[in-house]
Amino acid sequence: MIYKRSELGDSIGFNTMVDKKFKTCSLAIYFLTELSDKTAAANNLAASILTVSSSTYKTYAALSEKLSELYGAGLGSSARKKGDAQILGLRASWLDNRYAIDGEDIGGEMRRLIRDCLFNPNAENGAFDEKSFAMVKKDLIDRIDGELNQKRSYALEQAEKLAYRGEPAECTGYGSREAALSADPEEVYRAYSELLKTAQIEIYYVSPEEDDSFAEMFRTSFSSIDRQPKTVSMRNHSPLKAEVETLSEEFDVNQCKAVLAFKTDSDDRYALKMLSIIYGELPFSKLFLNVREKMSLCYYCSSRSVSVKGSFFVDLGVERSNIEKAKAEIMAQLEEIKKGNITDDEIQGALMALDNAVLQVGDTPSSYIGWYLDCFCDGETITPEEHFRRFEEVTKERMIEAAKSLELDSIYLMLNKEVQAE
Amino acid sequence: MKKEILTSARTGDSCIHVKHSSGLDIYISEMNDFSSIEALIGTKYGSVNNIFRNAADSDYTTVPEGIAHFLEHKLFENEDCGVFELYARTGASCNAFTSFDKTCYLFSCSKNYEENLEILLDFVQKPYFTKENVDKEMGIIGQEIKMTNDNPEWRVFFNMLRGMYHNHPIKTDIAGTEESISHIDADLLYKCYDTFYNLNNMVLSIAGNISADKVLEICDRCLRPSEDKGLETVFPDEPDEIVTSEITEKQPVGASIFQFGYKCTPSDGEQRLRDVAAASTAAALLTDPALPMCERLLKEETINSTFDGEVFYGSGYFTVYFSGESDRPREVRDALFEEIDRLINEGIREKDFQRIKKTAYGMMIRGLNNVEAVANLMLNAHMDSVGPYDTIEVLSDLTCDDVIDYMRRELRPDRSVLSVITKEA
Repeated sequence: MIYKRSELGDSIGFNTMVDKKFKTCSLAIYFLTELSDKTAAANNLAASILTVSSSTYKTYAALSEKLSELYGAGLGSSARKKGDAQILGLRASWLDNRYAIDGEDIGGEMRRLIRDCLFNPNAENGAFDEKSFAMVKKDLIDRIDGELNQKRSYALEQAEKLAYRGEPAECTGYGSREAALSADPEEVYRAYSELLKTAQIEIYYVSPEEDDSFAEMFRTSFSSIDRQPKTVSMRNHSPLKAEVETLSEEFDVNQCKAVLAFKTDSDDRYALKMLSIIYGELPFSKLFLNVREKMSLCYYCSSRSVSVKGSFFVDLGVERSNIEKAKAEIMAQLEEIKKGNITDDEIQGALMALDNAVLQVGDTPSSYIGWYLDCFCDGETITPEEHFRRFEEVTKERMIEAAKSLELDSIYLMLNKEVQAE
Repeated sequence: MKKEILTSARTGDSCIHVKHSSGLDIYISEMNDFSSIEALIGTKYGSVNNIFRNAADSDYTTVPEGIAHFLEHKLFENEDCGVFELYARTGASCNAFTSFDKTCYLFSCSKNYEENLEILLDFVQKPYFTKENVDKEMGIIGQEIKMTNDNPEWRVFFNMLRGMYHNHPIKTDIAGTEESISHIDADLLYKCYDTFYNLNNMVLSIAGNISADKVLEICDRCLRPSEDKGLETVFPDEPDEIVTSEITEKQPVGASIFQFGYKCTPSDGEQRLRDVAAASTAAALLTDPALPMCERLLKEETINSTFDGEVFYGSGYFTVYFSGESDRPREVRDALFEEIDRLINEGIREKDFQRIKKTAYGMMIRGLNNVEAVANLMLNAHMDSVGPYDTIEVLSDLTCDDVIDYMRRELRPDRSVLSVITKEA
């Protein structure tokens, strides 16, 4: 694989990855901006609307028709958060030209289509097209309303809102219902113009052959935009609450959910990740072996380190009557680590799992893109091998220190209504 | 041992199929430009296989619902240690799943695949069930059942199947119920294991950065020959008619969801491949945002972009269904009735048909671009008694008339079921 990054303009990076094994080409463009409830929904709607119509394909039907003619080429948007930043993405993928049965230039068609969507959107007089706007607005409101449909992710979202109250990361990466409801085509067009002007922009192109045409297209297209990029502050440790706060909600559910949010002042993200693997990320972790296998309290009980926010989460699905018992065991297992109860086998197992995982970077276009985007967000581009080497350097003492730095901050509980009424 | 090379004339991709002397079918795809390795071993044993016998048995055995899934959980425990512990030493990511008609055990890794394969082949041939380890699992699976019952997508799907099938076990949850699994014990697990985990009923599929010779060498060493005992599974008689045309359930959800499906005639082997190609193309046409029905429903905000169509099939069941979020699911159903009538009467525009075929072709090529997808493709094709690349060939032969004929024959309003999960008041 050949990797190159060049600057197409002020804070516009163009990353190319040439890898002959792929049968497809993939392009992703990411806009990194401050996360804020005021702008998150409008930014998200802007990214979405770019993928449902353009000035050439003025309706979703017309754009869909064109994409299906190009062997079902994919075009979509995403909106998520990382720390206190919002990351808006547009992703496209298509078959490499050698698989075109009728000899079409799929890559050339996609380049024109993407240029059109991004730089010649379906807008007039400073406002996006009403019909396209109505469609993406409904999609967003439905998505927000549908949060509760997925109970585990809903519980995690509520836990984050509670843990990060008063901070930008309190918002979701896709925006609030109120902001989505009040958005209009003019505001969203202004949001897009602002993103083009001020966001940090990173573009990724993965193809089986060298191809400069996309870099050229973006260079030319961005040259007419007056760029005034703003620095994005992503890594901000979330402060620990003075007292552990518990928030519970009642629903007519069969299984209760509990999420424990911890805070840390440690910046040792490699140690925190190793700790998390040994504590609760894998089927040989302490939480799995004890809370699930030994005590039979749950089907899942796992941990996750969010080092950009200095936070750490444990979540599980459990009977209401067993919440306290499970919580006691979760805390007891953490205490064991603080006391130094980490075996060489556990450390070796964590390293082996990481080694296998990092070596798989590059087996799909999206894993390449994800890897280099994460490197950009972390402010340093390293190879997966170097990344692994840093994990190898983590000593048991560093893991113990990381464990000792964790303080319980807040607890979110999704409770069963029926049991609560007893 | 019989070895053959299977090749796709259209893409040039190929894989090796071996009928091993142990009875096991083995599929190998060397993808040496990739780093990862994906391996699955599967048995044709899922939640629907609850009545069975071997040729030597005089009577059929009936076992509790959810036992295939329970067995999958328990096979992860050896006498001396858990399988997860063994994989922790190699760094592989391992997992297992039970579906309606199969149970699979898998690992994914980028190092030590030889050792990982040995572990996989060893533990699936070495059951260890005791009263203690069976009792311990009840609480864990009980929580898994509760979790899936809180999943509205799962509920809306099962409610649709319950509306379609009178007797076929497809209508019951894969994990069973807390009550049904309470009847499971170690003896029953051994009975099911001995019946279904016979290598003649199983398949190994491995793809990625591997050597076929090395894989076969490991198989020769680790596989213990199985005698083909003439396994027979049966299903209760299932009428063509549906049970009920509409089922609604209230749940704590933020967005109402629906699934609307047609109970279709089940088929097998190559006929099923042709049916799946026709049914999938019909589903793609009926959910195509470029066509007027979808465009209108989107504009009227009856549906959103989650609207989708799928084909779901197996032994004795086959359905084409549509799903999405909507507050007005009956309008979606009525629109589909009208659109199917229109397509049957007016025909499909050749241009639209070719677009949909191109999209399906594109999806298949993408699947061959991915180690995990290739391993799954080979396994699923074998389970369906077809070759891994047969779908591409069948699709290229498919005509507009085949799709119209399929819609006329199978997408009948009197065989349709609407399942809805609505918000609680």
